Amino acid sequence: MPEMLSRIADSLFWMARYIERAEDTARILDVNYHMMLEQSDPHYRLRWEPLVVMAGEEKPFHQLYTEANAYTVFDFLAFRADNPSSIVQCIAKARENARTIRERISREMWEDINGLFHTVNRFDAADEIAAGPHRFCDTVKFACHRFHGVTDATLPHDEGWEFLRIGWSLERAEATTRLVDVQYHNLLEGLSVAATPDNHQWMAVLKSVGAYEAYHRRYHSPIRPEKVAEMLILNPLHPRSIRFTAGEVQAGLRAVSGTSAGSYANEAERLTGKVLEGLRYDTIEEIFARGLHPYLSDLLRNLRLIGHDIARTYFYYAVVA
Amino acid sequence: MSAAPQEVFRPVLFDGYDPGAYYDEMFSGPGEPRPHYAKMFQKLAALAPAQFEERRQLADLAFLMQGITFTVYSDGQGTERLFPFDLIPRILARSEWDRIERGLSQRVVALNLFLHDIYGKQRILKDRQIPRELIYSCQHFRREMIGIEVPRGIHTHISGIDLVRDSKTGEFMVLEDNVRTPSGVSYVLENRLVMTRIFPDAFQACEVLPVNNYPAELCRILRSLSPRGEQAQMVLLSPGIHNSAYFEHSFLAQEMGIELVEGRDLIVDTGVVFMKTIHGLKRVDVMYRRIDDEFLDPLTFRSDSLLGVPGLMGAYRAGNIALVNAVGNGIADDKAIYSYVPAFIRYYLGEDAILRNVETYLGVRDLSFMIEHLPELVVKAVGESGGYGMLIGPAAERAAIEQFRDRIRANPRNYIAQPVVGLSRVPSYHAGTRRIIGCHVDLRPYCLYDGEKVSIVPGGLTRVALTPGSLVVNSSQGGGSKDTWVLHGEC
Repeated sequence: MPEMLSRIADSLFWMARYIERAEDTARILDVNYHMMLEQSDPHYRLRWEPLVVMAGEEKPFHQLYTEANAYTVFDFLAFRADNPSSIVQCIAKARENARTIRERISREMWEDINGLFHTVNRFDAADEIAAGPHRFCDTVKFACHRFHGVTDATLPHDEGWEFLRIGWSLERAEATTRLVDVQYHNLLEGLSVAATPDNHQWMAVLKSVGAYEAYHRRYHSPIRPEKVAEMLILNPLHPRSIRFTAGEVQAGLRAVSGTSAGSYANEAERLTGKVLEGLRYDTIEEIFARGLHPYLSDLLRNLRLIGHDIARTYFYYAVVA
Repeated sequence: MSAAPQEVFRPVLFDGYDPGAYYDEMFSGPGEPRPHYAKMFQKLAALAPAQFEERRQLADLAFLMQGITFTVYSDGQGTERLFPFDLIPRILARSEWDRIERGLSQRVVALNLFLHDIYGKQRILKDRQIPRELIYSCQHFRREMIGIEVPRGIHTHISGIDLVRDSKTGEFMVLEDNVRTPSGVSYVLENRLVMTRIFPDAFQACEVLPVNNYPAELCRILRSLSPRGEQAQMVLLSPGIHNSAYFEHSFLAQEMGIELVEGRDLIVDTGVVFMKTIHGLKRVDVMYRRIDDEFLDPLTFRSDSLLGVPGLMGAYRAGNIALVNAVGNGIADDKAIYSYVPAFIRYYLGEDAILRNVETYLGVRDLSFMIEHLPELVVKAVGESGGYGMLIGPAAERAAIEQFRDRIRANPRNYIAQPVVGLSRVPSYHAGTRRIIGCHVDLRPYCLYDGEKVSIVPGGLTRVALTPGSLVVNSSQGGGSKDTWVLHGEC
């Protein structure tokens, strides 16, 4: 088996994370924007602010705009060069990572991501803002799916592939965690006790992770916030649930180190195992009893630590021999 | 069903094309293609301008989508730019190529013997075939190499030797040797790939010799140099993504299936080179380095280099790693030393040079002649490449000529002069007028040497000066490239 340079593993990991981040942002933007169009009751008018919070970029946003509305949020999350997490920036960074390792990925992968880079750069921000985000977001979303497909079909499933899998799974786990956390806060805690939660908004949450249809097949019931949370946190099979994605991270880490189930070779594996145990055996009732927000905050902190530990274990040579 | 209207054959593409006063590679006279160009001429002439334009755009898009770009730094942003590609191929007749191949092989072997000698016994200096001062005054002469026995005695594993066809004689001549880290071979392979997609029918008709064996042959040579035999960990050392030739580095690493590394990926411990992998340090045996000598090892050469690997020269000296090309090759492609290459060929091989040099005047030898005749001459700095540090006398203004006169007087060793060579031309598309015009070309074949035989990619890189009238083919000065064909049969 060819050797895997630490620098290359690092770039693969980040290329995957940026692609995933672009897709996650595109999904959230698209779904929420269209939900807003269908929403007439001003009481439930979708607030744009939370989308910026989910992206974790409130500070630069407020330096640029005075208010969060459909246009400023779309402009900021999709196009702005000064938003390091904007879709266009994520794709540029994914492509830059790909460029440093193009000898290591397949030609098809490189051409795909290079093509995507040129495609999103051809979009004119003003035109797209006028037309609404669907065209742009849909292009990005499907291009990201395509990249997954091209990767799966053309890259040997060796250690490099595992680092990609770890990268996009970890990013996706973080994105879903933030989504549930922010939307719960946004949709429930802002309401008076008497008000009933709004179905429409929870549909948006499900759709933004592509779990709407799966929800109905699983629960055969009207949309209820705690069921949505259960679906997105604990479902073992949905590809965007936190449990599923954490399982992918674990599988990837084990494939790289060769560790068998029940033990761990490094701190990243220990933490992933610990997180996954919780996700496997906690019930949604227990989670609510402990408080959803503290639970998700813990989870987010652990996911970030796993990222740091992966870098420490595999990417950095801090001490020179 | 009605029959499709028959298109009337009219060779519009070359309508009014004037081969002009220079040697035209495609036409022997107006409207008269040379025999080896006949089939391609028919294919091209059958294209309507709109069809030609369509194929041209297809080619540009293919290069853009594959990210085959080089980086330009002059605008401060490090913009990626396409290396302009011209659709009309440069075709070489088989008999002509055979002679070029013999000439290049002879030259590469002689250059290698010279390097081996100059860093070894220095017989050539003792026999007074070349002035000792010329060697020791060369800025690319590396004293650190003296006495190092390189693996299998090979210094010039990879050579890119620039040839031009003189319009006066129609003969191919050597313009310069590049035996440090010649670049451009990736364009040869990519140009061919794109051309086969755009003119599949022409390839069937013309029987073009394939070029794609280069990476495999280079990889075979790299492997043969490993100090640990078959167990060879090979790497390509690149300065990184910001280098203008980065595309080529990654392309070659991928084609050969070897690791592309940067200095920061490597470490030397007790005279052995290692790379940092996710499972710890792994020994490296062979390094195809695309970094200049002076940046290779900050402990030996420039101490401010961040690109290289501290201790690399120690590992090289100890025979624990093979470097390709060898260190110190710059002495052999110095533009003043160049004028002695035909003498090397005679001295080491006992043969006359098959490919002639362009007549060359040395600052140290022919100073007064150079100073007097500057307006008629091309002046070059001996250690520069890429079209930098040059004066083209007939095209230069008086002030520039005066400036060069002073510079040459101040440092004669640093300059050579040559008569202006009227480079041959190939019809090429001119975007400004949307017409086909004759543009000057050179030819850089890539030669690989395994210590026994020299193998050469059929053809090589044809660089073309796409600015009308320009003789400068470098990509930094508006040059482009063409696919270069050597035909299997005679025509």
